[in-house]
Parts: sequence; structure tokens; C-alpha cells
Amino acid sequence: MSKRITIDPITRIEGHLRIDCEIDGGKVTKAWSSGQMWRGIETILRGRDPRDAWIFTQRFCGV
Amino acid sequence: MKKVEHSMEEETICGFSRRDFLKFCSTMAVGMGLPLGTGAKIAEAVTTQKRPPVLWLSAQECTGCTETLLRTNHPTLDKLILELISLEYHETLLVGAGKQAEQWREKSMKEYKGKYILVVDGSIPVKDNGIYCKIAGKTALSLLGEMAQDAAAVIAIGSCASWGGIPSADPNPTGASPAHEVLKSKGIKTPVVNIPGCPPNPYNFLSTVLYFLTFKKLPELDDQARPKFAYGRIIHENCERRPHFDAGRFAIQFGDDGHRKGYCLYKLGCKGPETFNNCPIQLFNDVGSGAWPVGTGHPCFGCSEKGVGFTLPLHSPARPKYITPPSLFTEVFPHKEGVSSGTKALAAGVSGAAIGAAAAALVSGLGKKDGDSGNKEE
Repeated sequence: MSKRITIDPITRIEGHLRIDCEIDGGKVTKAWSSGQMWRGIETILRGRDPRDAWIFTQRFCGV
Repeated sequence: MKKVEHSMEEETICGFSRRDFLKFCSTMAVGMGLPLGTGAKIAEAVTTQKRPPVLWLSAQECTGCTETLLRTNHPTLDKLILELISLEYHETLLVGAGKQAEQWREKSMKEYKGKYILVVDGSIPVKDNGIYCKIAGKTALSLLGEMAQDAAAVIAIGSCASWGGIPSADPNPTGASPAHEVLKSKGIKTPVVNIPGCPPNPYNFLSTVLYFLTFKKLPELDDQARPKFAYGRIIHENCERRPHFDAGRFAIQFGDDGHRKGYCLYKLGCKGPETFNNCPIQLFNDVGSGAWPVGTGHPCFGCSEKGVGFTLPLHSPARPKYITPPSLFTEVFPHKEGVSSGTKALAAGVSGAAIGAAAAALVSGLGKKDGDSGNKEE
């Protein structure tokens, strides 16, 4: 008798977040959160001059 | 998030209960760092005025472009979104989430078909059918097409939306693409303005929006669709350290004597000579002189310039676009009509008296009006 609820997008936060919940008898029994965006900054950083790293890493999040 | 039709007495406002609506207004006020009590003013503003609708689509972004708008004073962000525009959709600011948010987006798009401004921040991943950025189960790739189709104009804010920015840096794992390229590939002809920068100067964005609202058209753009008022000159041309460059005085290492004295940062890899932007003039955060990267003693890394920022190594030397010679070397405006040779001579620094200063001011004023004159003085 469980019911699935999806909330996407989650607003008033930085980034693209999605929440999935499983509800049974009016209570959340399971929940998943997932980031809905990927830029691959770890991949981009590979092989670069280490002195350039901060330019990329500080832009994970602008908040 | 607007509405002329509803009054505060009605049970529902903008589809929310009165209680929820006021709660939303207060949340907005707190979220923007506005004083308590501003919530009521917001409620009044959004229920009594008809303002141009703006929808904001976030793709591969870091929210830095939204953050930069908080650092404005003329107008302030609250004045912008409460009195000047009607911000219909913006993930970071919307009170509704999930289905509520998406229903509102669809309703606004329908209601203001062909009339709204679409702001895009973040690049659009196109690799693997755009799965690297999804909102409500839809890819940013499909959402951009859907939302731009019926927009009056698209403003791409930040380097990511303008030319790809950091996510498009080699090897570009997600196929990150700028908004205008995606629209072109979809055959959508809505005009696009690019406001690059990481983050861009908020005034370059606000000025573009206000220009559009005032004159009902876009400002004059360059070949990369950037407003000329902001991106018409390279940083090097207006840099306060330019006299040191011309005199050959450079910082060689961070913390050395030249660096302490505020000499030119060219030899530390400053990309000012190949980056088009107005940072040295506009500055940041309204806190006075020196509030920009070079002013703090760090080389410009060309964040707003395609092929420079996130592309060239930080400390590699710039490839100057053009070098204008110091005024002492030649006439100030050799081909300029309307400036007498006497004025030119005075402006070149021959006279140290007040009249010389006045003439110099006159000539520098002329130079500002004529945006491209510097390009020809190779």
C-alpha cells in the first residue's frame, strides 16, 4: 500500500535537486535525494596546471 | 508571483491561500536579505502592478549569476523584482516546488506568450541527449527550446550561458553548449543577448534589462551578441595599472617589490590585454576604487572571454589584441577631425598648467564617445 511521491525541482536552494519518497500509512518509509545536474569538474581538472585548480573548484557553487 | 486581477481581500491570491501568499512574501524578503516587514510591501507590489514578465531558466550553473544580482544598489534587486519586472519563474527564489513550480511556469508561458523575457544562466549539456541536467524530469536542452520559442528575447547571463564557460572547458565531458548555439541548432530565431563574465557584472545585466524595458528593444550588440556599452573595449585599455605597462614596470612574482608597488600584472599572466569587458570602470559591489581582480593585485584570467577564461593557463602570458602607444609617442588622434593640433599637443602633456588639464579632459572625453578609435592606433 505504499505510495511514491516525487518533488522536482526542489526550489529555494542552489542547484537542481529532486526528492523521491515512499509513503506507507501516512509515514515516509524510504526517501532518496538526487542531484539532477553534472558538469564533470573532476574530469575537467585532470592534467591541468595545479595553480589553475582554484578557478574551477571555487565554481562548484557560487553561493 | 504577480497579478493585477486579485486583491488582498480575496481568499486566494495567485493560486495560493492568503496565508500562504503572505508567508511566501516574507520568505522572499528574508531570502533576499531585506528587512522584516518588507513582506507586506512585496504583497502590495505584486498585487497592484503590471510589470513585464521574466522567466529564469537555470541549467548547468552554480547560482553565482543569481548571487551577483544581490550586490546591486541602483536599482537594488528588490526594486528590480518588485517594481520593475515580474519574476515568474526562478528555481532559487520560487516558493512553490515540484509540480506547483512547473505548473506556474507553464501558465506564465501561455499567458505571456511572445511577451516575456527569458533569462538563462548555465550552459546546456547536449551530449547523450542532454541527460546531464534535468528539471522536473525534462532536460535543460528541451526546456530551453520550449521556453525560448515563445520569448520576446533571451538574455544569456554569465559565461556558461554565453559561450559555454567552465563546464565547456576541455574535455567538455557533458557537451556543455551556450544558449545561442542550442537555439540555432533548433532553428529558433528569438534574439539572444550575451552577458558573459564569471560572474558577470550585475550592472551589465540590469542595464540590458532596463534598456529593454524602457526602449522596447535590445541595446546595440557586437559580433558575439554582447552589449557594446559593456564589452566594447578590452580591459587593458581602461586599466588603472596601464601606465606601468607602458613604462615597463611589472610585478614578476606575487609579493615582490613590483607587486607591492601595484605595478602591471602582465608578466603574472594578466589576460586584460585580450579580454573585452568594463571591469576597471564599472567595478564590483559598489565599495569604491580597486574593487575588481586587478585592483586587488591578481591578474585578470579572462573569465568573460571565450577561448581565454577556463581555457588558457592562468599564468601564461596574454596575447594582446592591440597595443595603443603612450600619448607621448605620437599625436593623440592623428586622424581625428575637429580636434586642433594645438589641443592635441596640450593633451599630450606638453603643458603642465590648468589649461593643459582641461584640454586633456576634453580629449579623453572625445575618446570615450568614440568607442573604437583605440583599435586603429596600432
